[in-house]
Amino acid sequence: MSVEHEEQFEPTPYVVAIITYIGYVMLAVFGHMRDFLRNHGFEKNLIATEPARTKDFVPLYQNFESFYTRNLYRRIRDCWNRPIRTCPGAEFELIDRKSPDHGWSFEYPGTHTRAINFGSYNYLGFAETDGPCADAAAAATETFGCGVGSPRAEAGNLDLHTRLEATVAEFVGAEDAIIFPMGFATNALNMPALIGKGCCVLSDELNHSSLVLGARLTGAKIKVFRHNDIADVEAKLRDAIVYGQDRTRRPFKKILIVVEGVYSMEGSVTRLPELIALKKKYKAYLYLDEAHSIGAMGPHGRGVVDYFGCDPRDVDVLMGTFTKSFGGAGGYIAGSQHLVALLRQRSHSGLYGASLPAPVAAQVVTAFQMLMGRAGPPGEGARRLKQLEVNTQYFRASLHRLGVIVYGHRTSPVVPVMIFMPGKIAAFGRETLKRGLGTVVVGYPATPIIESRARFCLSAAHSLDIIDRSVQIIDEVTSLLLMKYSRRPPPAWTAGITREWAEAQLKLVDQQRRPHGAANGGPVPRRPVECRGDPPDKVADENDAAVKDNLAAVAAAS
Amino acid sequence: QSKQAMQVGTAHSDPNPNHIYFNSRGIWMTYIIFILIAHFIILSIPFISVGLAWTLTCQVHNFITYLWLHWEKGAPFEPLDQGESRTLTHWEQLDDGVQFTANKKFLLVVPTVVFLLATFYSRYDQIHFIANALSLVVLSIAPKLPMFYRVRLFGINKW
Repeated sequence: MSVEHEEQFEPTPYVVAIITYIGYVMLAVFGHMRDFLRNHGFEKNLIATEPARTKDFVPLYQNFESFYTRNLYRRIRDCWNRPIRTCPGAEFELIDRKSPDHGWSFEYPGTHTRAINFGSYNYLGFAETDGPCADAAAAATETFGCGVGSPRAEAGNLDLHTRLEATVAEFVGAEDAIIFPMGFATNALNMPALIGKGCCVLSDELNHSSLVLGARLTGAKIKVFRHNDIADVEAKLRDAIVYGQDRTRRPFKKILIVVEGVYSMEGSVTRLPELIALKKKYKAYLYLDEAHSIGAMGPHGRGVVDYFGCDPRDVDVLMGTFTKSFGGAGGYIAGSQHLVALLRQRSHSGLYGASLPAPVAAQVVTAFQMLMGRAGPPGEGARRLKQLEVNTQYFRASLHRLGVIVYGHRTSPVVPVMIFMPGKIAAFGRETLKRGLGTVVVGYPATPIIESRARFCLSAAHSLDIIDRSVQIIDEVTSLLLMKYSRRPPPAWTAGITREWAEAQLKLVDQQRRPHGAANGGPVPRRPVECRGDPPDKVADENDAAVKDNLAAVAAAS
Repeated sequence: QSKQAMQVGTAHSDPNPNHIYFNSRGIWMTYIIFILIAHFIILSIPFISVGLAWTLTCQVHNFITYLWLHWEKGAPFEPLDQGESRTLTHWEQLDDGVQFTANKKFLLVVPTVVFLLATFYSRYDQIHFIANALSLVVLSIAPKLPMFYRVRLFGINKW
């Protein structure tokens, strides 16, 4: 099945859109009225105001800029910034808050709520307080201390960093890698080291703001193409090559296509094989930000490159972060030796910022080792990858069957469920929390005005029971709030995805310890042919003895 | 006094969502529905004639759309464009300032149609006509013309 068939974005129903607009207009009208009452003394004014002596100065902020915060967000702000008091694993404990004055202030009665955690980017379940990763982090703290106190280029280069870089390069399949202490800075501060004025950046419209900031800092010409629209990329590439720079018509020095592996707001997957074909045809460069896909996608967890079966050497700059799948912080850039050597010399983040602290680096190294089968209990890496894959497909299939609108690709662990109306955003957040489910809800202006959503982040730490319980809670809440807007039948791929299927898949990983598999320290089977668009769920490397056993076991079980 | 920061959500690549929401599905219809609702409310006042009701609709519509499009500046949230849109009215922010887009043509046509309906229903009465035409030209048509892009007469509403 091609990527298009496994991905869907059902458009907003027309009547729902109109009611959503009416909701926002009502909120705006009431907001203006209440602002009027507050400003003229009819109502107690709890807004932060400038002191009397600066009344005649030019105001620091426009009153109107905080309109939304004051009149919409403030009313429902108990749905965000919820303080937690335990590790954000599969479940967590929230500190209860009550607002006696409709969101202006909070009181803490001292009680706690235990809830299922669907808000953390914890794809492989490495947010845990014990286990080999935590032990390694503690040992590293005892050896190196907490902080490093220096940039990499001066005195902050630990042997842990070198080891982490080698591990990342091996995991991703590149020649070399360089790590940075902050994921956002990895994008924003390294793009200026790679390209500059006289170059062209082709950026997806839904790219993260770190990529946008990085592109702006370079001084290059930025062209934005429609999300995942390969025809648009090709048209803009051709324009860039044929017409060159503005005014002078000189050719661009470099053309860089910047995309993400998985887009976290939509749950969509980039069209990597087509992009690689395009970049080879037109001799452009490709920058792939795998923040949400490294460790979370692909049969061996190596990201979208693994998912599509492409050659990592075809992607010029492989970027990723350690925040999401590895329970750490920071980011990396992997690629050719030449690229990484250049970044070591020229990267703003590497030269001026302090380097990754030792406990974090140890945590991340151990997480990578676990995924490659060299640390932790045997087969743990394969188990986690499989659990995430099964959880994702099972959760998505169950939600599709409920009748809610779910966006995104079948294997994307980020699952947006559409809410649409502003009142229902808060209602969904509160009702699910009441029933023991912690979710993240987002509305305008973070999303388009008629596409407010709740976003679930699946984790390998979630068990099938937790997923069943969550789907039951979502069923209750969406029936109560009338959120089951989907008019399409569940997609074709959900046909066989049941609890039994999920348990069978998990048993498969438990049963066999693959002696040569990638999750047990062996090499990832590399396809010698050019990468195709089809995901490799039914294609295996026939020479891999372990995979043959796997197939035999599946045949025996079915 | 409370300290609260709104999440403009996860990191966004769009510096100001205010310029594009008018392209969303169904928003034109919603605008017309609002005019109809206002008209029905005014029509249901018992002691005014149909012509006066339409004139009132026309006036109220022009006044409210003037406030919405040409008076309030900036965005109701803090956009990521570092203050570029703080001095721009909503009309100037729509579609990033590009003129003659479909949205702008629509927003020019609707007050005109309301005006024509008002003159028809008031049977071309002179006073109604002058009132409606004045409010149409001054409040609805003139500020939308490209020649008045970023023009502030007598410094009114400049900052």
